[in-house]
Amino acid sequence: MRRIANVNRKARLLGPLAALLAVAMAVAACGSSASSNDGKGDAGAQVGPAQSGGSLTVLEDASFAGGYASGLDPATNTTGGANLPQMQSIFGGLFLLRADDDGSNAKIVPNQAESYAFSDGGKTLTIKLRPGIKFSDGTPFDAQTVVWNMLRDTSSPCSCAPTWQLTKKDPIVAKGDLTVVIHMTQPNGALISNLPISNVNWIASKTAFQKLGAAKFKVAPVGAGPFTVVSDQLSSELVLKKNPNYFKKGLPYLDKLTFKSIGGDQPAYQALEAGQADAYEGMSTSPLITQAMKNSKFTVTLGPATSPYVIQLNTMKAPFNNIKARQAIYYATDFDAISKGLFKGSDLPVSESFTAPGGLFYHEKVPGYLHYDLDKAKALVKELGGLNVQLGTTAIYTANQVITALQTQWEKAGIKVTTKPMQLPQVIQAFTGGNWQALLQTAGAWDPAAGVGVAFRFASTSPFTGVKDPKLDNYFLQAAATTDSAQRDKLYQQAAKYIAQKAYAPFGIAFTPANIVAKGVHGPGLTTPIPALAVNTQTIWDEVWREQ
Amino acid sequence: MSVASGLLPTRPRTGFGRLGRAAGSPLVRLIVKRVLLAIPILLGVSVLTFWVLSLIPGDPARAMLGMNATDAQVEALRHEYHLDESGPQRYLDWLTGALHGDLGTSMVSSQTMSSMLADRWAVTFELVALAFIVSLAAAVPVALLAARWPGGVFDRISMLCSVTGLAVANYVLALLLVLVFAVEVNVLPAIGYVGLGQGLGPNLKSMVLPTLAMAIPLFCFYTRFLRGDLVDQMQSEDYVDTARAKGIGPWRVLWMHAFRNSSFGMITIVGLNIGTLVGGTVIIEQIFALPGLGQLLLQGINTRDTVVVQDLVIIFAAIAVFANLLVDVLYAVLDPRIRYGSH
Repeated sequence: MRRIANVNRKARLLGPLAALLAVAMAVAACGSSASSNDGKGDAGAQVGPAQSGGSLTVLEDASFAGGYASGLDPATNTTGGANLPQMQSIFGGLFLLRADDDGSNAKIVPNQAESYAFSDGGKTLTIKLRPGIKFSDGTPFDAQTVVWNMLRDTSSPCSCAPTWQLTKKDPIVAKGDLTVVIHMTQPNGALISNLPISNVNWIASKTAFQKLGAAKFKVAPVGAGPFTVVSDQLSSELVLKKNPNYFKKGLPYLDKLTFKSIGGDQPAYQALEAGQADAYEGMSTSPLITQAMKNSKFTVTLGPATSPYVIQLNTMKAPFNNIKARQAIYYATDFDAISKGLFKGSDLPVSESFTAPGGLFYHEKVPGYLHYDLDKAKALVKELGGLNVQLGTTAIYTANQVITALQTQWEKAGIKVTTKPMQLPQVIQAFTGGNWQALLQTAGAWDPAAGVGVAFRFASTSPFTGVKDPKLDNYFLQAAATTDSAQRDKLYQQAAKYIAQKAYAPFGIAFTPANIVAKGVHGPGLTTPIPALAVNTQTIWDEVWREQ
Repeated sequence: MSVASGLLPTRPRTGFGRLGRAAGSPLVRLIVKRVLLAIPILLGVSVLTFWVLSLIPGDPARAMLGMNATDAQVEALRHEYHLDESGPQRYLDWLTGALHGDLGTSMVSSQTMSSMLADRWAVTFELVALAFIVSLAAAVPVALLAARWPGGVFDRISMLCSVTGLAVANYVLALLLVLVFAVEVNVLPAIGYVGLGQGLGPNLKSMVLPTLAMAIPLFCFYTRFLRGDLVDQMQSEDYVDTARAKGIGPWRVLWMHAFRNSSFGMITIVGLNIGTLVGGTVIIEQIFALPGLGQLLLQGINTRDTVVVQDLVIIFAAIAVFANLLVDVLYAVLDPRIRYGSH
């Protein structure tokens, strides 16, 4: 259910209020000085050298990254994929996703791990650990502890447990003090790509766990990350201080780091404006992002786009069990116009498949993709004898705007459209009950096989698909079961072409949430873009610093 | 003292004697009667809460563990939290625990409810208490002034303000207050709670905006209600005419006579508002990032933590029931007719 929790990112408690208050904010901002803020953060700017010291208060949306009711124990944190800020700060991570300062060349790099290698046709993964690391309680970070963690994570009943196909005998073993070997029954192409957002990536102190017990450990866990827990009120406030035993010399820069959970974009923006916090991760209300870009107090950083909007069409029932109806939707949809009209100045890319420029295996053009052509749309609608469509989405500000624009476009083609913004539980209910026609959602991830990947929206086995096609399933299975990047790229291209050919679902704008950060605060992932592996960007917290 | 009791020999003033006399007092009898009446109400509310929560489709254990969990793991969790028992049995288990001070353990965080309540109750209590104090302290003088010259300039201005205040939802008001006082004027904090341990000044400062967000709509409502009732009393009640005929000044009539009578209605309204106000903390605590019970309830709903939700709903209901009990007692204190059961 973590995937559902990830989708829940969009379902904010106070989302609808953002639009209401945006007007008031705009009026209030008239007096503030304007600055040129292009959403690229520190990319291309001269900042540094980094300075040590100081503290930072970071706001996280209570319904997503700021919600961790199940605690911060990696083996039981059901929302670990969302709680990247807290988990990374405390545990660090075996691997991290890093990118150049402009967000390009993103790749998974070893962190507490030193290296990794696949063998046995991709069925065995060997991870070598960096020597000399200690947990913040002083105990050694060794292979035995990593194995204990991984076995605990993989056998946990938690929805956060990774779905690795492990061998029954000796699935994860330690070889010496610094080598961990994972044996699988089949290759897993996205295993490493998925690690930075997986609970398996965060290694906890076994000694501390045994000393504190499970209930206390999930509130005040002990890891080998850059910070240690001072106090923690679940889903409310986590106060951290510098880990004196941290393995990277001179890091972290900050002495103190506090994460506060807040009820949505609007209160968060106001708290930032009031100087009550220094950063807010994952702002998705577009008028507030625009507002922040005009505000000289803030650095705005939009992550590289990885997950485009997709209009999922339910091919299992009328009208979209007819390819002509689906083609009519393709021809009637003009996402370029929506990008220019609704997201002025943001220069959002429009995708033709389930990847976007910030992700792996992205190709700008998909052969056979049906582009906007109003005449062809009208002709198809006429041939069908009319077309009535109910178009839904998760009720958040940006998605509501997009479906309203789509309604206008489709009606020009003669399609009668009813729009239906829904709360997340209703969306899930619609999917699981099969009682829907068209739904605007997002598809894909940095790696299509990781996070809320392409299979989540298109595989027959997913409850959140409108397509049941064995040929498409086969593409995804093959792509996920090889570690050969070239082969994966080829398979994903074939899948994208096949989706276009069958007119299964038009893709659109790749919208990304933004980090809003007070001037004078810098850090990779916070003020330089790093692609989101699933939904939110992973900030490299040990390298975050503030001008003194 | 009745005639019969006056003829009895005087007994020494023992503790039992005082207790006996206290127990015999009409007020105590009334309190006992109301408390006894509150018990079935609370039981009814708790049964209803259990029943409503049981109607939510799906298995909470499956929802918590997710699609990856095996049937055995789901079954183990169901057993751990007694979800495999019948509804009535689970209710009895919960009730037995609650009567022994054990409200259970959160299904999501594994923290005991008592520890979570201990961490958070003070925030919500302070918020609700301050909202009441501020709203009443402001509403009474404004209503008195408006009622003193009905239709006058002050009355009209207060009417306009009250209607405007009533038309704005408290969460919108909260955001506007932050915009003005935290962002623009920058004199008050926008978010966060400072505990009393860090000083009364910082504590109150952190509570000003949340309190105002909750108190302003209440103030508007109380002002309109009290002003209307006062005007009604002043214009149509015989005792007011009598007082005036005796030469008592208009302010004194308003304060000593009309307001005392109107306070009965106010007490009723305040009592009824307590439930609403406690419920209102859910949104306000979220906006101001206050770690109170409202925030906990919302987290419980989001994570489908049935233990947290059922306990908090029942606690909120209990607060409403006891608030109304308090209202009944206050009635009795203020009006001897109720105390002695003549009406």
